[in-house]
Amino acid sequence: MVGASLPTGAGIGLRFQHHERVLATRPRIAWLEVHTENYFGGGASARTLERVRVDYPISLHGVGLGLGNAEGIDMAHLGRVRDVVRRVDPGLVSEHLSWSSFGSAYLADLLPLPMTEEALELVCSHVDAAQDVLRRQVLIENPSTYLQFTHSTIAEWEFLSAVAQRTGCGILCDVNNVFVSATNHGWDAEEYIAQLPAGAVREIHLAGHAVRESSYGRRLLVDDHGSPVASPVWDLYETALTRFGPVPTLIEWDTNVPSLDVLIGEAEQASRRMARVHDTVVA
Amino acid sequence: MTPSLRELQRSFSCCLIDGHDAAVASWIEADGIAPPERVAVYRDTFLSTLHRALVLTFPAVRRLVGADFFEGVARIFAAEHPPTHADLNGYGEGFPSFLKRFAPAASLAYLPDVARLEWAVNRALHAEQPRSLVVAELDRVDAEEASRLRFIAHPSVSTLGSLYPVDVVWRAVLGEDDRALAELDLAAGPCHLIVERCRDEVDVSRLDETAWAVSSALFDGVPLGLVVERHAGTDVPAWLAAHLLAGRFASYTLVEKEALR
Repeated sequence: MVGASLPTGAGIGLRFQHHERVLATRPRIAWLEVHTENYFGGGASARTLERVRVDYPISLHGVGLGLGNAEGIDMAHLGRVRDVVRRVDPGLVSEHLSWSSFGSAYLADLLPLPMTEEALELVCSHVDAAQDVLRRQVLIENPSTYLQFTHSTIAEWEFLSAVAQRTGCGILCDVNNVFVSATNHGWDAEEYIAQLPAGAVREIHLAGHAVRESSYGRRLLVDDHGSPVASPVWDLYETALTRFGPVPTLIEWDTNVPSLDVLIGEAEQASRRMARVHDTVVA
Repeated sequence: MTPSLRELQRSFSCCLIDGHDAAVASWIEADGIAPPERVAVYRDTFLSTLHRALVLTFPAVRRLVGADFFEGVARIFAAEHPPTHADLNGYGEGFPSFLKRFAPAASLAYLPDVARLEWAVNRALHAEQPRSLVVAELDRVDAEEASRLRFIAHPSVSTLGSLYPVDVVWRAVLGEDDRALAELDLAAGPCHLIVERCRDEVDVSRLDETAWAVSSALFDGVPLGLVVERHAGTDVPAWLAAHLLAGRFASYTLVEKEALR
């Protein structure tokens, strides 16, 4: 299996709003991540990516494969992912620990799985299929969740670790998602980080979240990627760096997308923390 | 009772689509927040993500009806017609005909056609980029076989006809050209359009009615012999040559003789 990777530094998600600026000014960013599905077609955005990838390592992040779909993954979709992978030759390819389709409907969200042996076997078989077709390692990201099923028997970090161990996939540890889910469900976020297999974590995501009041006054954190990284998430990021070592880190900000400078500022903050934790200068 | 994964996902998807959550709620830990409220977070993401996808594809429709009305109709459409694949750039094909049946929008008679134009533009924008058919490839076809030629349009190319000047409406709305909008004459008559991607830009241009009918037939895959027969008296070869030179076909096949009857 191809074990390509990204430079150990901070990247940002490349959004359409910033295509022109990035092409024109080539700002100093270690790498860029794009949503795989946005590049299925041809035209201007595909051309932009062709030009951008000359100067920046690229990570392909998928949102629609549905590794947890009970009815199977869409092989046509996987074929289109493979075509983008061939065109872009990315440093990393990632997807989510979630499901997203049933019957003929694509439900346009990263939906929560029950943490059961049945789901674990299914996800492993789909990760195997994806890695076979793509002929490379895929990273699986932990989701933000807003509910837990009563019949779940496995802790999420154990589930994720088991998938990595059984399939050889990597883990994309979204530190904001760990914080959001841990807060929502009363888990210990530090324990979550401590239990993940350090060697399997090959990328970190950071993002902002929103706070929603429920009708009984209990607050629910919602991962909306619409604001700066929150202060407790930066702290948890340092915990993660201490445990996983320096890992390529992405700033995700997809709703109310700010100026490129704001995004780069967040990435610089991540680089500074990486340098502080490891006492190395990150290029 | 513990549901199978398939059973759980079937109920959960029904719940996202039509809002019924009786079965799903019984499988969810309440933990201080009512299960339906937890599911509502996912339903909201489902509907708002699809609303956002439609905003990107139908900006002129949105300006014509206003953002609030658009959000309302987009969420109804999304729940009734969720996407069938995960490529959201390709979501919304049924939106124009949905608008046509949507009674609260009936006062804007040209609205569904503006939506059809925006769909054609979106299709052109995101179409894959296969190689175009070049004239020399047709050398393999004998002259007597030419009537059996069936062309396959480049995926970015389509034609569209409307009783209203929707191209003028579309340009004025997106260009925020208030003067053009004020001077808009909906009785100005029909328009016959070709929509395509030239290099990386989407181009919308008018054809005369005859050229449009011939071109539409060719892009729709009507065999050449039938196009010539149905449009007797028009210079079909001239239009065919123009489309070939402009790279508007991706490939061709030869149909059986029986298909020409």
